[in-house]
Amino acid sequence: MIALPGPPTVQLSNEYIGTLDAGGHCVLEMPSGTGKTVSLLSLIVAYQQYYPEHRKLIYCSRTMSEIEKALAELKSLMKYRADQLGRDEDFRGLGLTSRKNLCLHPSVKREKSGNVVDARCRSLTAGFMKEKKERGEDVELCIYHDNLDLLEPHNLIPPGVWTLDGMLRYGEQQKQCPYFTARRMMPFCNVIIYSYHYLLDPKIAERVSKELSKDCIVVFDEAHNIDNVCIESLSIDLTEDSLRKATRGANNLERKVTEMKSTDAKKLQNEYEKLVAGLREADKGRQEDAFMANPALPDDLLKEAVPGNIRRAEHFIAFLKRFVEYLKVQATHALRPLLSPSDSIQTRMKVLHVISETPPSFLQHLKDLTFIEKKPLRFCAERLTSLVRTLELTSIEDYQSLQEVATFATLVATYEQGFLLILEPYESETATVPNPVLHFTCLDAAIAIKPVFDRFSSVIITSGTISPLEMYPKMLGFATVVQESYTMTLARRSFLPMIVTRGSDQVAISSGFQIRNEPSVVRNYGNLVMEFSKLTPDGIVVFFPSYLYMESIISMWQGMGILDEVWKYKLILVETPDSQETSLALETYRTACCNGRGAVLLCVARGKVSEGIDFDHHYGRSVICIGVPFQYTESRILKARLEFLRENYRIRENDFLSFDAMRHAAQCLGRVLRGKDDYGIMVLADRRFQKKRTQLPKWIQQALLDSDTNLSTDMAVASAKKFLRTMAQPFHARDQEGISTWSLADLERHKEKIEEEKIRELQEARRNGARGGAVRDEFEDYEMEAVMMEIDT
Amino acid sequence: MSKATARGGVPRRPGDEDDICPVCKSSRYLNPNMRFLVNPECYHKMCESCVDRIFSQGPAPCPVAGCNRTLRKQRFRKQTFEDIQVEREVDIRKRVAKVFNRRQDEFETLDDYNDYLEEVETLTFNLLNGVDVSATESKLTEYATQNASIISRNATLEHQESANLEARQAAEREEARLRREAARKEEEDEKKAREEGRKEVLEQLVHGNKPAADVVKESKRVELLKRRRAQQSRALPALPSGTPSANSNPFTFKGLKSTAAPTPEKPYDPFGGLTDERSYYTLQDYYEHPWLDRARTDTHITAGGYTVTEYCARAMFEAFSGLGVFVGEEVAGRGDLPGGNGAGDAVAAAEAAARAEKGVS
Ligand code: SF4
Ligand SMILES: [Zn+2]
Ligand SMILES: [Zn+2]
Repeated sequence: MIALPGPPTVQLSNEYIGTLDAGGHCVLEMPSGTGKTVSLLSLIVAYQQYYPEHRKLIYCSRTMSEIEKALAELKSLMKYRADQLGRDEDFRGLGLTSRKNLCLHPSVKREKSGNVVDARCRSLTAGFMKEKKERGEDVELCIYHDNLDLLEPHNLIPPGVWTLDGMLRYGEQQKQCPYFTARRMMPFCNVIIYSYHYLLDPKIAERVSKELSKDCIVVFDEAHNIDNVCIESLSIDLTEDSLRKATRGANNLERKVTEMKSTDAKKLQNEYEKLVAGLREADKGRQEDAFMANPALPDDLLKEAVPGNIRRAEHFIAFLKRFVEYLKVQATHALRPLLSPSDSIQTRMKVLHVISETPPSFLQHLKDLTFIEKKPLRFCAERLTSLVRTLELTSIEDYQSLQEVATFATLVATYEQGFLLILEPYESETATVPNPVLHFTCLDAAIAIKPVFDRFSSVIITSGTISPLEMYPKMLGFATVVQESYTMTLARRSFLPMIVTRGSDQVAISSGFQIRNEPSVVRNYGNLVMEFSKLTPDGIVVFFPSYLYMESIISMWQGMGILDEVWKYKLILVETPDSQETSLALETYRTACCNGRGAVLLCVARGKVSEGIDFDHHYGRSVICIGVPFQYTESRILKARLEFLRENYRIRENDFLSFDAMRHAAQCLGRVLRGKDDYGIMVLADRRFQKKRTQLPKWIQQALLDSDTNLSTDMAVASAKKFLRTMAQPFHARDQEGISTWSLADLERHKEKIEEEKIRELQEARRNGARGGAVRDEFEDYEMEAVMMEIDT
Repeated sequence: MSKATARGGVPRRPGDEDDICPVCKSSRYLNPNMRFLVNPECYHKMCESCVDRIFSQGPAPCPVAGCNRTLRKQRFRKQTFEDIQVEREVDIRKRVAKVFNRRQDEFETLDDYNDYLEEVETLTFNLLNGVDVSATESKLTEYATQNASIISRNATLEHQESANLEARQAAEREEARLRREAARKEEEDEKKAREEGRKEVLEQLVHGNKPAADVVKESKRVELLKRRRAQQSRALPALPSGTPSANSNPFTFKGLKSTAAPTPEKPYDPFGGLTDERSYYTLQDYYEHPWLDRARTDTHITAGGYTVTEYCARAMFEAFSGLGVFVGEEVAGRGDLPGGNGAGDAVAAAEAAARAEKGVS
């Protein structure tokens, strides 16, 4: 018996153990910052240890700090279990992150870029380098890696839970590489905690997660953005610069091949013979040191022989060159109108057009122009890997761009649906100098995650803000057995959500396109921020829908003297797209909150701050969400995705945009409440939130009183003041008992109650016959938003 | 915009280092409209005005030092690829692909096909790199003359395929456009309906004498119903039925054989494949039977329409009709029925059925 942290967990365990037993996937929403991670971990570990199979747990999180946090929680959980059980269990829990974070090699670890670390590590650890050394050649190897071979392969590190920090320390002590220790120990772990990418990015998943058995329990934590992660992992951007680099890479390869032909032609001949037999055969030599992997190669491809016209190294290189040249033609094509000299500058700018194309039509034109067929294209990525391995190249960072091109080739020839090629003349929205980018964008989040659902019998997708739940199974293409949103039980009302729809002058406020820049609206927003900076102790976080809007509103506030007024009460700090500047601002913000000066942090709802950074306790007593954070709807990629969702999953454009905006808003709100003893005010400042509130997570909805959904600024201020007064009362940990933490007796009482309820339900069911399920209407708001009208124009 | 044509030539970007005509040495800086042309004879690049100047009078030798090939004006064209080698390679490939256009389904095994591909590639490489050019060229022509019919057949096939693909893509684009339109319209309608509903409620509130709460509640209910109906209609497969082959037959490379048109549906056969064709005997026109002779000739008999052939056909049919029935099989088949193989079992089964019926009622 283990003590569980809180009531949601009990409900959870009842339903959830069933799913683990029966197999199936689920989506769970649990209030963030209230021990979600530890509840899930404790439950699954208890299940795991109870049954003799000891099913492995794979726990995926987003950032390195979240991974480290989860590891720490797992560690204390295991300690707790050991105390309760009176013995140490035979248990291993490890975390994995990139080489850059885990490298110990004195010079390699100092490299700034992760790619360079990977490349340099490979040159120090690759199998053929070792062979060279054994032949007596003078090559440098990494001692941390070599030492691993002296240990028992299944016992590289003692049992227990190792945080990343702990691994680094142990590695330094024993002079062994933490990265490879973790990689090699993965089959022997009970719990693995790593980043999403190790499962979702096909290029990495194939390498790292291939050996994990089918009965693993997979958890995606903080998964409200999982669809975007999936899409990004299969999308590729190619610029003219990267194409130029790819050409250079191809030329390098050509030189290397000629070299090898004169010195060691046998190796090339060997490779050729293997390729005749098929990729799988050629693949046998593939190991953890391999250069790169194939993206989502269908299985039949691996069994098939490589097409005859790319079997020979020189043929393949010529093939690649032709392909890259074709892409260059495409890229310059986007610039065409710019160069017609008769037009004036303005019209030239305007006629620069965006081209979008489906994979089949791309392939058709490719074939017409360069005689490149679809089939050899599909083999491109894998063929390149094989060649790089045969040539025993060490400086693989030179081939990064070429690899990207090859991956693109494979993807474009493999999937004809769910992808789109978009050629844009400008790299970003703000760029003025044309620099064409070829976006190969994945539109279907289900493609990347499908292997995960196919492979593992229990996948859990969870987050603090993952409403509406049914959106996720739809977008990711899977069926759930449990789909549940848990509310929070707290001893006191520890957060106050409010919707402010108008200013004190009764003028409606909104970031809608038509009125967002009207002085009355901007002034009202300014007053709201000003009032709250007066009444809130310590820190306030303000979120804007976009950088552009933030900039314009700040300059208007400057003119209205609002900033000066705020300045009297708080420091003002601003997030910028530059991450260094932002982290400096954050640091200053924290200092100001700690020393009592207090500060306002102005940031963007889709920026770095809104995702990864917590504002617990005095770091965030109020959060104000100015406007509904809709996406920039003019983006071609977004438009294509919206269309795809509508056509394939029957998700309407407005529904998706609204859902997406609300999940970001909820994510912003959740930033301030990070624990049971924390408290904070959440202000949603836009008229349109009133209708969208049903799309908020259940735990926020529950706390949002009807009377608080249509406030003016002065009403909100009064309400907030009252709330802060009650929060100022002393609060003891003891008060929580029986409400948000339970003793064993509480637990038993709860069980009885549940059982009684069940019996009653059954009786009722018998009396009534079958009861129809209640229809829920998640999307109340069908109103055409001003912002969204822009989509069609 | 027709993509195929728009894709043809590509202007060079300003700032490229090779922006000086190697012949007249004028640069883009002086002449921003300068365009370069190449001739597939030697692929030496020169500007348009040079081409006009040198080759307008008829064929002339290439002005690039050491080249000396004779060039004609009409063969000059814009350069497609940045890399002139690739430009040349593609020209050669075009020639080779015209001749070697075998298809995978023409080969016994995939390995054979792959070997073929490799061989063609090697030939191409020979031409590209100037290895054994004359031998390769003669191989090419030899093959072309020997396999002329196959080559032209495959070329037609290829042409057809790409035409089909084009048509399909056009159809798909059109469908997508229609769907997009429909979605937009639906949204607009909904909005309009909602606005009207709202107006109605206001009217009722102003003029009617129902309690306000009732009016609002009623209108909400109506709206909910409407919305649900709309959702239901949306849930139905709204895809307009396009050409059936468009969606069911995606663009895969196994699809090489997919060009065969779907077999037309056979006419409906009410007998499910049973025919009255004789499979055990052939009916003769004449059977020797003395006692039938009278029936053939006696007008008393033939006057009524009696024909001997009719009689013979029936007699033969009856004699052979039992041959299609295999008693052994039928008995065995009966044994598979649930409940065993006897009359007693049949009774038991009937009883069971009766019991079941009673249980239901
Ligand atoms: S083996 Fe480990 S320590 Fe050595 S270079 Fe690679 S990552 Fe660094
Ligand atoms: Zn010239
Ligand atoms: Zn010449």
